[in-house]
Amino acid sequence: TTHITDTGRQLRDFSESLQQWTEFQTKTHSLSLSLTSQLRLILTPSQSTKLSGSYRTGKRLNIKKIIPYIASSYKRDKIWMRRSIPTKRAYQILLCVDDSKSMGESSSGNLALESLVMVSRALTMLEVGQVGVMGFGADVFTAHDLVEPFATHEAGARVLQNFSFDQDGTDICLLIRQTIDRFRLARQQSATRGSEDLWQLSLILSDGLTPSSAHERIRRLLREAMEERVMIVFIVMDDAGKKKGDSVLELKEAKFSKDEMGNSRVVIERYLDTFPFQYYLIVHHLEDLPGALAGLLRTWFAEVNS
Amino acid sequence: MATATEIQAALEPEAAQVKVVFTTTDEDIQLPESKRQLLVPAAFPNYCNPQDIRRYGLSRILNSESMLDTPTAIPFDFLVNGTFLRTTLEDYLKENGLSFESQVTLQYVRSLIPPVYEASF
Ligand SMILES: [Mg+2]
Repeated sequence: TTHITDTGRQLRDFSESLQQWTEFQTKTHSLSLSLTSQLRLILTPSQSTKLSGSYRTGKRLNIKKIIPYIASSYKRDKIWMRRSIPTKRAYQILLCVDDSKSMGESSSGNLALESLVMVSRALTMLEVGQVGVMGFGADVFTAHDLVEPFATHEAGARVLQNFSFDQDGTDICLLIRQTIDRFRLARQQSATRGSEDLWQLSLILSDGLTPSSAHERIRRLLREAMEERVMIVFIVMDDAGKKKGDSVLELKEAKFSKDEMGNSRVVIERYLDTFPFQYYLIVHHLEDLPGALAGLLRTWFAEVNS
Repeated sequence: MATATEIQAALEPEAAQVKVVFTTTDEDIQLPESKRQLLVPAAFPNYCNPQDIRRYGLSRILNSESMLDTPTAIPFDFLVNGTFLRTTLEDYLKENGLSFESQVTLQYVRSLIPPVYEASF
């Protein structure tokens, strides 16, 4: 049995989805635990790496304070820096799952749902902030709102009900546009919480296929996201079980272009060569995901903190 | 600041692609496994030649040096679900209730009819 939402989307049967959630949760439990422990070190640092402040004793000299120190006849002697206590970080994380038909026609859809269960469980166990789920295809929808708690099997099943991989398009421009807008609103809504340092992170789970003529527009939207301090990671579902030669790593695209003489030529390029995402991972096996995701986030945090 | 390519990208209509899988029963014109999947243009924005998204364009793609690399072009016909492709890929998808999300298996055979070259550029 299916149900219709107030926006007209069909929902899959609840008890079936509940069974699927339970099955995936059991299957991915140890991976979730592994991801949780790796992310704990990255997302919730217990010690700041930066040295700052002015103290009489400390770890390293603040060079800028040396001349005033000498000029004041060694009276202004707060010339040392210490490791500061890090500000508490809060996260808003959106998991965006590709609900387009291409996902259902390959095994990518199943891998994406397993990944969704594994990652959302890990984030829930971490308790670092809010977790939301969006679906996208020709359209974008909310499967779980950021402000709702996400801790029970039932909440998980209600998320899975939304995915049937039946959308006739894969509009990643629209997804990023709406991700930026959703995060902008969420930042305003959480502004009252004061001293916390808010980080916004979006993880896209998809087969990675979107018209390559949209890549340039996507690149522009990604710059806008970066300016708003929204981090977007693209996780390409590339199931190793697919038939030989059918990996996105090997996929090429044909184009027709005109040479200097105005003659039409066939040009064949690697699809990923124009892929617009700076931070992306390719996952062939679910077991690769915890390590790869943790590694990528570690690199990214190192870059923003330097 | 928007660059020239960005402005161009914004003005251009979206070029739709479809993922095709090329198959053949002719051993001598078999593609290696890694070349059988390909994204090809399937709909037709105004900068694209209408021939590019029909049989003739697909035939040129297959003959190109990155694919079969034939010394002289072999004109191909394409069978999709047992019938010859006579329309654009976009029309084929529409007529069969499919979208650009679907993967299309194209079986290529040497064409028995000489290709008709329509001068449109
Ligand atoms: Mg798709």
